[in-house]
Amino acid sequence: MKITVNINWLCDGLVAALAGLLPLSAAQAHCFVGIRFLPATLNIDDPCVADELSLPTVSRSKTGDVPSATALEISGDISKRITENLGISIGTDWTRLDTPGSARTSGFGNLATTVQYQLVKDAPHELAMSAGISVDWGGTAAKALGADSFSTITPSLQFGKGMGDLPDTMGWARPLALTGQVGYSVPTRSSTKTVDADTGLVSSASNPQFLTYGATLQYSMPYLRSSVVDLDLPAFLNHLIPIVEAQFATPVANNAGIGIRTTGTINPGVIWVGNYFQVGVEAIVPINRDSGTGVGFLAQLHLYLDDIFPRTIGQPLFGPQISTAKPLLEN
Amino acid sequence: MRYLSVFATLSLLLCVVSPANAHALLDHANPRVGSTVAVGPTELLLWFTQKLEPAFSRVEVRDSNGARVYEGRVQVDPADASLLRVALKPLPSGTYEVRWQVLSVDTHTTEGRFLFTVRK
Repeated sequence: MKITVNINWLCDGLVAALAGLLPLSAAQAHCFVGIRFLPATLNIDDPCVADELSLPTVSRSKTGDVPSATALEISGDISKRITENLGISIGTDWTRLDTPGSARTSGFGNLATTVQYQLVKDAPHELAMSAGISVDWGGTAAKALGADSFSTITPSLQFGKGMGDLPDTMGWARPLALTGQVGYSVPTRSSTKTVDADTGLVSSASNPQFLTYGATLQYSMPYLRSSVVDLDLPAFLNHLIPIVEAQFATPVANNAGIGIRTTGTINPGVIWVGNYFQVGVEAIVPINRDSGTGVGFLAQLHLYLDDIFPRTIGQPLFGPQISTAKPLLEN
Repeated sequence: MRYLSVFATLSLLLCVVSPANAHALLDHANPRVGSTVAVGPTELLLWFTQKLEPAFSRVEVRDSNGARVYEGRVQVDPADASLLRVALKPLPSGTYEVRWQVLSVDTHTTEGRFLFTVRK
């Protein structure tokens, strides 16, 4: 139902845009901070509020269960700016689990929504920060997958820092950028009771609170070419951003006696950046047995709605109308 | 699966409804970004990935002391709206900084900076 409401809203937005009701503005939209472009990363939220659509994100990996199940996950999410600095996003995923000796199960995961606010965009220092609150809505998933029946609320902080303010003598390092995310996940129910279908016994399991954190290190070939040195490389290489992402979750409260430890993955990969979309591919390397087994993969198509529809749904819904660029230079 | 169908339909709609323009990024320059040239160029040429709005597209070229080494108006080429050009004064040996800021026709602003060197 919530999806239907949003589609209706988007259609209304399209109609309104066609009628020319939305203002034009000079903006940088997806994650530009001065001369730095920070791509949308596949695991860690980027530090900018933007109009963008990730569809699809496809991953295949083996879970940390015993026996290990093969998980195929297809997900999508859309982000929309309400004002220049405030945005919302909504997403969901479909998962298929193949467990040896068991029947295949599949279905949708919980619906996830996020409200994000842009705290800082410091162009000279290529620094961006945002804060967000995400809600994983319990009970919206397929029961067969064993998804949480309770909601989880996660306030988080995202940051991104380009190294463009290094001295020109360190030009080779200026295309580097670091981004990261820290969050704290709080379940809306401290424990979950289950009833054994055969014995009728009731058991209770704690729902721990997690500290979630991660970072990316990326090297922008577009930045190298346009700001440091043009090596006359093939065009394809000039669009690449090699990247390593790492994400972790550590139980920090309400976790006594349940034997959960830190889990996470390290994902080396590459993002190809175009004018209207980007494509990312990464390997998924679990950091321990609880995080999974073997090496999985992750791929994503990500559309820049602000570039595809710069005068319509790629605009914030509300905000100051800016009719011209603010000149930094004087000629 | 119905959620994915909705997303797929939406994305298809987004891709076919209207023509689009994107951020104007520097594609290449003459002299090339970070290059060393033996002869001081008389003109700086910047090619962008999108067409530019002439009134709000600007370039500065300065020597290592911060002095202006360009003259006249910065112009968007009448025959190629993605090409920005500016005449340069005679350049002695040295390192020069180029700073640009442009507005693409879809109203996105972008900016950048690079160096080139003249070594005679």
